[in-house]
Amino acid sequence: MDGLFAVLIYTGVLVGFVITNLILTHIIGPTKKTAVKQMPYESGMDPVGDARQPFDVKFYLVAILFLIFDVELLFMYPWAVAAYKGDGGVPAELSSTVYGVMLVFFGTLAIAYIYAWRKGVFKWR
Amino acid sequence: MSWEFFLVTLITIGVAFGGLMGTIAYLILVERRLAAFIQDRYGPNRVGWAGLLQPIADGAKFLLKEDVIPGYVNKTLYILGPSIAVFTAMAGFAIVPFGPVDQAPSWMRFVIAPDVNIGMIYIFCVGSLGVYGVILGGWASNNKYSSLGSMRASAQVVSYEIPLGMSIIGVVLMTSSLSLNDILMHQAKFGILGWNVWTQPLALLIFFVSALAETNRLPFDLSECEQELVGGFHTEYSSMKFALYFLGEYAHIITVCFLTAILFFGGWQFPLIAEADSAYLGATLVKVVVLLTKVLLIILLIMFIRWTIPRFRFDQLMNLAWLGLIPMAALNILVVMTAKQFDWPIWTLPLGSLAIFVAAGLIGTSGKFIVSDQTVDFGESPEGYAHVHS
Repeated sequence: MDGLFAVLIYTGVLVGFVITNLILTHIIGPTKKTAVKQMPYESGMDPVGDARQPFDVKFYLVAILFLIFDVELLFMYPWAVAAYKGDGGVPAELSSTVYGVMLVFFGTLAIAYIYAWRKGVFKWR
Repeated sequence: MSWEFFLVTLITIGVAFGGLMGTIAYLILVERRLAAFIQDRYGPNRVGWAGLLQPIADGAKFLLKEDVIPGYVNKTLYILGPSIAVFTAMAGFAIVPFGPVDQAPSWMRFVIAPDVNIGMIYIFCVGSLGVYGVILGGWASNNKYSSLGSMRASAQVVSYEIPLGMSIIGVVLMTSSLSLNDILMHQAKFGILGWNVWTQPLALLIFFVSALAETNRLPFDLSECEQELVGGFHTEYSSMKFALYFLGEYAHIITVCFLTAILFFGGWQFPLIAEADSAYLGATLVKVVVLLTKVLLIILLIMFIRWTIPRFRFDQLMNLAWLGLIPMAALNILVVMTAKQFDWPIWTLPLGSLAIFVAAGLIGTSGKFIVSDQTVDFGESPEGYAHVHS
């Protein structure tokens, strides 16, 4: 647990650093608000409409795919550590079972991947 | 928790944090001089001797300039954006060993958080959080360039997260540990031939490419490409908040280079001068220098790549991740686990990597699978090609 305690201290230092920086620049720097400076930057044109418009559904698809693959990755980490560790890992008599299970796992993953591909999720137009 | 541990931790944090800051400041100078050299111009050479004081001048200027917060932004999120970006990038460094951990002097350690056995998972957790800094900053700015930039960045970072994590699995299978120091020691035991780069060349390639994309470096910096999006997600940021984004980016690069050096190039291990059992006077220092040299070389490589390779198109970028890197990484895991399961000799691993690489190249260039999928048809959308192609 020592290690995580050190992470906690480090986190505190970082938060302090960020806050100090933000406050320092706020105090030291000049503040002169003008109407033009307060406008959103749009290459010198007067801004047209709001920037928060609906965007392409592709981004949602990528986010969902990411979720699937990331969860699958999280499953792989403990397996990768334990699979060939020897002592304290997967026992020798279970080794081939685990190997078979992982093959099935990769197979289902491949099916999901091919399905997404044929559905055209990876197409960017 | 003893006071001694607390004190040693504070000293280590001081050394690491100071070193990180100084390195970032001078890396920016090095990058600017390098860019100038490659583009046949001078670069910053006025402040101090040959521009050596430039980082200090830059820092002072960042503090002294006006901190503009435009009127249309969501103020809380606008301030939170760069804070999260720099915080997550720096926090990742907590478990990275920057020297031989078990030979450290008594008053400091060579890693901020010792014995964290989930090392790699911690780095990926914190690294994934980094995307929030970009999304929040871009969305809160309420600026069209920023919005487009942050959307691109989120899709890109999220996509490249997967090959990045997958490429590590092969290395973890080889060493059966997630702790960076264990992985390092596992390689150091066998000398230069034990480096993971020999057994996992494909994993190194995937890791490095994904890391470039994760850090938004140039061949993949679609989120802030100047020609289309002005500044991308940090268009509306000024003074210190802008600097925080940059600090974050460079801290991310340094962490990634440390990871590459430790995971694939044996960390502080080098033949003859820095072996696992070398115990001559000053061996610790030599090991630190060797590790830092490796890291610096990788950073220089990244910089050369930035000023050499032109930017990708966005569909190419996404295809590279989803149709290229992810299947390759999965196949690489399959090869490594099969080799481990059936005790294949060690030389089958690089051969497997090579086979996957060549097969992927052949399939990719044959034009049967990817290119035919990518017919660009502008006629479909009602507004024609004038609508925003994100």
